[in-house]
Amino acid sequence: MSTRRAFLRGLGGVTVGLPIFSYMLNDHGDALAGGSEIPTRFGLWFFGNGVHMGQFTPSVGPDWQPPAEGSLTPLVTLKEYVSVVTGMSVLTPRHPHHSGMSAACSGGPHLKIADVRDTIVSTMKYPSVDQVAAEYFATSSAIPTPYRSLEAAITRFRGTDEGTSFQYLSHNGSLAGETNINPSEESPHAFWDRLFNQGTVEPVLRKARASVLDSVGEQIGQLEGKLGAKDKQRLDQHLTSIRELEARLSAPLADCEPPVDPGEYPDLESNEQIIEKNIAMSDLVVLALACGLTRSFSIQYSTCGSGAVFWMCGAADGHHYLNHTEPNPWTVGAAVARFNMEQLAYFLTKLRDTPEGDGNLLAHSSILCSTEHSEGWTHSQDDMPFLICGHGGGRLRGNVHFRGAGDNTTRPLLTALRGAGLPITEFGYEEGFTNLPITELEV
Amino acid sequence: MRLEIPDLAKWTLAFGTLAFGTLAIGACYRGIDDVPDANGDGLTSGAEGSVTDGPGTSGGDTDGDVPDAALEPAPPTIHRLTQAQLQNTWRAVLGDPLVLPTDLPSDDLLYGFTSIAAAGATVSGLAAEQYENATYAVLDQVWADPVRRAALVGCEPVAVADPCVAAFFADFGKAAWRRPIEPAEIAALLAVTETINADFGNVNEALKYSAASVLQSPNFLFRVELGVEDPAAPGLLRYTGWEMASRLSYLLLAAPPDAELVAAAETDALGSADAIEAHALRLLQDPRARPALVGFFRDFMNIAKLDTLDKSIEQFPQMSATLGTSMRLEIERLFETTTFDASPDGSPDGFGDFRELFTTRETFVNEDLAKVYGIDGIVGPQLRPYTFPEGSQRAGVLTSAGFLAANAHKTQTSPTHRGRFVRIQMLCQDVPPPPEGVDTSLPAPDPNAPPKTLRQRLEVHRQQDACKGCHELMDPIGFAFEGYDAIGAYREVDELGLAIDSTSEIEGTAVASGSEVGAVIAQLPQASECIARRFYEHAGAHVVQPGEEDAVLEVVDEFIASDYDFRSLVVALVVNDGFRYATAEVSP
Repeated sequence: MSTRRAFLRGLGGVTVGLPIFSYMLNDHGDALAGGSEIPTRFGLWFFGNGVHMGQFTPSVGPDWQPPAEGSLTPLVTLKEYVSVVTGMSVLTPRHPHHSGMSAACSGGPHLKIADVRDTIVSTMKYPSVDQVAAEYFATSSAIPTPYRSLEAAITRFRGTDEGTSFQYLSHNGSLAGETNINPSEESPHAFWDRLFNQGTVEPVLRKARASVLDSVGEQIGQLEGKLGAKDKQRLDQHLTSIRELEARLSAPLADCEPPVDPGEYPDLESNEQIIEKNIAMSDLVVLALACGLTRSFSIQYSTCGSGAVFWMCGAADGHHYLNHTEPNPWTVGAAVARFNMEQLAYFLTKLRDTPEGDGNLLAHSSILCSTEHSEGWTHSQDDMPFLICGHGGGRLRGNVHFRGAGDNTTRPLLTALRGAGLPITEFGYEEGFTNLPITELEV
Repeated sequence: MRLEIPDLAKWTLAFGTLAFGTLAIGACYRGIDDVPDANGDGLTSGAEGSVTDGPGTSGGDTDGDVPDAALEPAPPTIHRLTQAQLQNTWRAVLGDPLVLPTDLPSDDLLYGFTSIAAAGATVSGLAAEQYENATYAVLDQVWADPVRRAALVGCEPVAVADPCVAAFFADFGKAAWRRPIEPAEIAALLAVTETINADFGNVNEALKYSAASVLQSPNFLFRVELGVEDPAAPGLLRYTGWEMASRLSYLLLAAPPDAELVAAAETDALGSADAIEAHALRLLQDPRARPALVGFFRDFMNIAKLDTLDKSIEQFPQMSATLGTSMRLEIERLFETTTFDASPDGSPDGFGDFRELFTTRETFVNEDLAKVYGIDGIVGPQLRPYTFPEGSQRAGVLTSAGFLAANAHKTQTSPTHRGRFVRIQMLCQDVPPPPEGVDTSLPAPDPNAPPKTLRQRLEVHRQQDACKGCHELMDPIGFAFEGYDAIGAYREVDELGLAIDSTSEIEGTAVASGSEVGAVIAQLPQASECIARRFYEHAGAHVVQPGEEDAVLEVVDEFIASDYDFRSLVVALVVNDGFRYATAEVSP
């Protein structure tokens, strides 16, 4: 088996643009012809409001086993690809939901946007890990993917009152109080339309559009010089977005067999079609990864503090409300946790069943699954649960439950990023900084 | 008047001790200024131990046109255009008819307002795509018609060097960017036109792409505000004539400056309070002022989310796909009528006094709403005036279906949410979050005990020391609204068949039911001050900073002096120094 050293050698080396066609592979199908590795993918899959740790926590060590009817039961058939991490603690300054969100997704503190009120409105101070991976892939690939990253959502509920932490998943960090997010697309039709239904535009018109974007980039540069710190950051992001769009116009698109329009999924009898949306969106994300549209993605299954109604589990009201009202033994809550993991299982299964080289997409991915609380009704940010899914191209073992004792929640984030090939031994910011990857999970 | 934020560490340390309750009251109850304890209930509306300055030490001065030396407004910023503003600007620049794109970056809320979010938002990768698609979607409509295109461009050039091309950029650019275009900017546009025309060989076609550069520019997508130094106001920046023209126009009409405002900007004639007031009064007569100011009230009431109202259709037969929007439109129409259609005779039930929104039995209903309100004989989606009879249990916006439904769950009411909304959004009082580690679940109903109403189950909030400091602020208001279910319909028994108890006490005044709450709230000085404060925040696109408190209070005083006429509040705001000046930001 390849050692990690062999993969580190690929760092900074040339990676061929995706998708992987069989003629690009070496004789063994475990690397590209010419020796460079098959590109890994990184993902962040987030669900809100935590779980019930007694139902969630499996046996410790290799070959984890969930408790009877435990939350992770739906992932048992995939456990060779799934490692579990518990016992982590948020070490950044704590605030219900807000700090856990930033810790579990970015490895750093949240940013309270204005300081004159107690009512908190926050964003992430540092980029979410999907953007960290995206940045690495963009700068280490000779041919970056058409999309720097892709953001999808499953459930519809969005908080409106407490800042971007409650509405969005993928963040680019806030250096001066700006809000800088990458919105998650919740409509399968719109996601399909954007990625697979743009048709072909004549090269001369694409070139004209690219020239226009280039001139807009110059205007941004001109304006930026006149602005204060916060607005400079905002225009910096605007420029990044323009450049990415321009690059996509100037390069040939990845060759994807376009799927059928999945359509829209309106509520049926006031019940949100969560299962159907999960299938449609997961299928699109898998295809986008397989045909090389991006290497980094995030799926906002439900938001931090989500009010999604899991009617199929017996809930009549939103998940956040359920968490704060259902007493022990949390029967509906337990069903919701299992249901959520079933949706994750669908996505992971689809990745596993997508062949690539002599392996499959899940074998070539590293996917962090996180949530902002361990247990919602106490707003606990200790014993935080994480999953690290996929083999990261041979870097991750799978099938191990690592249980910490108040360890920094950034440890699983660091481990997941390393699992996708980022050559880092430390990650996280301020109190969230760690230099301790969970080597028990690594090959 | 900076309020002292209590030491949170000290607060959480005290959790669980008997002393916590007392400490929590001071910690949780945080008013917006120091109003004496008028009702003798022991609570002032300022935090205990807060340090307050006297009036006039930090604020604006609208008497002379020189701001008060202590005024510390917000720094200038750039404001991303909202969807409505973008659509109106395309229409103004490209003319009608125009099919307007709708796949645009969403208008998020931050601190309750779209404008505040827009002052911090950026252009994500997805947003850049959406703007690009939208830009060509509108330009294609003009370019599809050679006559229309020639009218916009002003000529049919055969060469990029044709003087009319540069003239087009100057005119089109000024309209699109809401300011004069500099020669270097025109040169850059000419250059990109040359580049594209080298491939096209058709200047008319190439100009569509040059126009696309203008319409995707940050100068178009954002309202750029820089301010200029003003020797009469050292340390401050004055918004320029062009910037004030846009500030006024986008605030009052959600549209770019019209010809008269442009003329005023050209001659730098917006430097005085009088000039600004004259334009404001003029713009308030424009029909577009109604949707623009309704937009403020929509954010203030947090009712945009009513469009995706999610209520159980099993439990609520009144539910339909259009009910949520009907609820929102009712509240918006109520505000619009109160603000713009004042009864000329000033009769007690006449509109005009903003506080009437809390007490009036007059509203607008359609078939959807009639089902929730239990009114017979209303057919069709059109809203029409309706007056609830006396004793009908409806009086003002706090008993509107929309307020009650938006602040409830899918099947259950939420006294805490309804109370919290009134405290935070309508009285500008902060309520901190639950302390960490507290088990916030309600205890399971005892199967051997008689069933309890939600109110009874929530009593535990006010028995536990860890909970009561904050819940005493919220729950009593919400209990008064328990007579309205989660969709806002009146009820006398809950889903278990138990009798509803709507009696409560709010700010020392006893209320027998929800329909009396509005009258109590309306009379509180905090309510009028809060609406003015919130409008100041919406207009300035930022949360009020400590150095602006006196500017805010000036606006409040004008609002009160006008007998609570919302239009007077708007005028008072736009002439206020807090709206006309910015702080000179220290460069990093």
